Amino acid sequence: MISIKNLHKSYGKLEILKGIDAEIKKGEVVVVIGPSGSGKSTFLRCLNLLEQPTAGEIRFEGELITDPKHNLNATRVKMGMVFQQFNLFPHKTVLQNITLAPLKVKGLSSDKAESIAMELLRTVGLEDKKDAYPSQLSGGQKQRIAIARALAMEPHVMLFDEPTSALDPEMVGEVLDVMKRLAEKGMTMVIVTHEMGFAREVGDRILFMDQGKIIEQGTPEVVLGTPTHPRTQDFLSKVL
Amino acid sequence: MRKLHMTIIALLIFGLSWTGIIQPVHAESGTGAVETKKTIVLGTSADFPPYEFHKMINGEDQILGFDIQIAKQIAADMGAELKIEDMSFDSLLPALTSGRVDFLISGMNPTPERRKSIDFSDVYYRANQSIMVRKEDKDKYNTMDTLKGAKIGVQKSSLQEEIGQKIEGAKLTSLDKVSDILMQLQTKRVDAAIIEGPVAKANLTEAFAITDAVPEVEDYGYAIGVKKNNPELLNSINNTLARLTKEGKVEQFVNEASAMVNGKQASKDTFSFFWDYKEYYIAGIKYTLLLSALGVLFGFIIGLFISLLRMNKLAVLRWIGVAYIEILRGTPMLVQLLIIHYGFALTFGIEFTALESGIITLSINSSAYLAEVFRAGIQGVDKGQSEAARSLGMTSSQAFRYIILPQAIKNVLPAIGNEFITIIKESSIVSFIGVADLMFQAQVVRGISFAGLNPLLVAAVIYFIMTFGLSKLLGVLERKLRTSDIH
Repeated sequence: MISIKNLHKSYGKLEILKGIDAEIKKGEVVVVIGPSGSGKSTFLRCLNLLEQPTAGEIRFEGELITDPKHNLNATRVKMGMVFQQFNLFPHKTVLQNITLAPLKVKGLSSDKAESIAMELLRTVGLEDKKDAYPSQLSGGQKQRIAIARALAMEPHVMLFDEPTSALDPEMVGEVLDVMKRLAEKGMTMVIVTHEMGFAREVGDRILFMDQGKIIEQGTPEVVLGTPTHPRTQDFLSKVL
Repeated sequence: MRKLHMTIIALLIFGLSWTGIIQPVHAESGTGAVETKKTIVLGTSADFPPYEFHKMINGEDQILGFDIQIAKQIAADMGAELKIEDMSFDSLLPALTSGRVDFLISGMNPTPERRKSIDFSDVYYRANQSIMVRKEDKDKYNTMDTLKGAKIGVQKSSLQEEIGQKIEGAKLTSLDKVSDILMQLQTKRVDAAIIEGPVAKANLTEAFAITDAVPEVEDYGYAIGVKKNNPELLNSINNTLARLTKEGKVEQFVNEASAMVNGKQASKDTFSFFWDYKEYYIAGIKYTLLLSALGVLFGFIIGLFISLLRMNKLAVLRWIGVAYIEILRGTPMLVQLLIIHYGFALTFGIEFTALESGIITLSINSSAYLAEVFRAGIQGVDKGQSEAARSLGMTSSQAFRYIILPQAIKNVLPAIGNEFITIIKESSIVSFIGVADLMFQAQVVRGISFAGLNPLLVAAVIYFIMTFGLSKLLGVLERKLRTSDIH
């Protein structure tokens, strides 16, 4: 579904990604782990081109989306994204947060957009918050709304950028639950996270990144259980 | 959003049509003659009581004065209907030579300079000059010799100024308006004022006296201007003037007009003063509100556009934005106003009406300040907001319109409110080019009421009510927008 070839990203002289090749298959849950500064968030943000790669190619469903002539907005509709800081729209209610893009980008009728939104709110267990503003929600609730907002566009793949890192510990569970159910329904997901237990339970494949490269990859059992690369071993000994 | 567009367009059309509707302050007065098909148009600058001046009579603005009386006689003798065009004194000659008006009566001296471009009738009135002092000083300055070394108030570039310059050791204060000179006199900043006889008489109140000192001066007298090579009209006018002089009507008209100016004594307290002249103030408020509303509206739109230029990726556009902002913020608004009103007409032949020039100046001036306010607001919105919007497939303009701009405006609303209040007050600058706004009307009222301070106090109170009302209104809006911040 997504194929990445020789992806590079630099900020001036600082090289963040030093040549990444990866393949993400339909229905697969890929978890990206690695120490901070290893480039995992930058990698994820390159996938929907929130960051413009310096070099390399990304194909999504066969289309070369790194081509400057490519219509990015149409592609982004098919790639949902969830941010560490939620990034809900503070001046809109929960319902408006979810319906805005379906209305303005997809041109759905407001009836249709609202029924989709209510359905998603039920899925994340927050239908009673539809008229609340984001500032009235807890962190965990905000992130569940952010997931619902991304799902409202009916994306083919979901990108999660450390979705639980900004949460109080007692709220991590409710967000991971939502993500787990999403995975069970067969959604293709790329997740950057520090939650090793979740990675082990939900991930089909783990990518371990360090210093701008994918050092090791494989099933959770292999990468988390019997890592071969010393840097993976070193990292896992610190976090597990 | 489409609705918003429609609203803006509707507002623009409304605003522009309004500017068209209430633009000119024409006063017409017929001769009462029956079956007159001929119309004769008088050009005058009605800001010189008792010669010609505006007065509200039964809620209607009329132009009165003894020049106007003479004009009516001329029209009657010709069997024509009189139409009056009020304009600035400087515009009178061009209006006559271009044929927009047929003759000029406006307290005008037939100087050799003017005789080069137009013809003049016989002199119909020669005003004497008076020395006006505070009542208690009446005997102190009873001859011209006593004025040596005194502080004297005169009108700028006037005959009186020339007289003052010939008085030995006199320290002159030259001001635009007679009412300002009288304020100087009343507050003891000058000892005496040289003022034309009829004007002095019209201005004579309890506080002042006219001394026995008589300035000697060579005066051209006042005459009526007509277009060159029009002996028929000139003869007709001269015949009427001869008749009026013979009948002693001119003196009579002068006295009647002076009485009419004095007809209304200024009330002492500010509120009843306002009530007496409310028509003027209400007329002024309309213009001030119109100017402010359009200045704010266009300033807002242009300012937003400039702030986008200012933050553009293209260096050239960014540079244009910076230059626009820096130039408009770094030069006085009065200069901008004069450049747009006179400079454009002289250089490019683009002649805006005074109201148009005023609106343009206010709009571009406030747009420069608002552009920087918007920039601060837009840059203050978290980067994650636009990333979230873009990740949902919104275009950059959709993200700007639905996500960034509403938050930016909410954040800088207090600063925007500040700018709006500034515009209301600064709109008073347009009175310089003759837009009849609140400040202008306050000056008109000063001219006809001979009260120095009260007309300005009333204007200040009205300005305050408008700005205070606006800031309360913005407070309500701010609270409403803040509902999304409630925890």
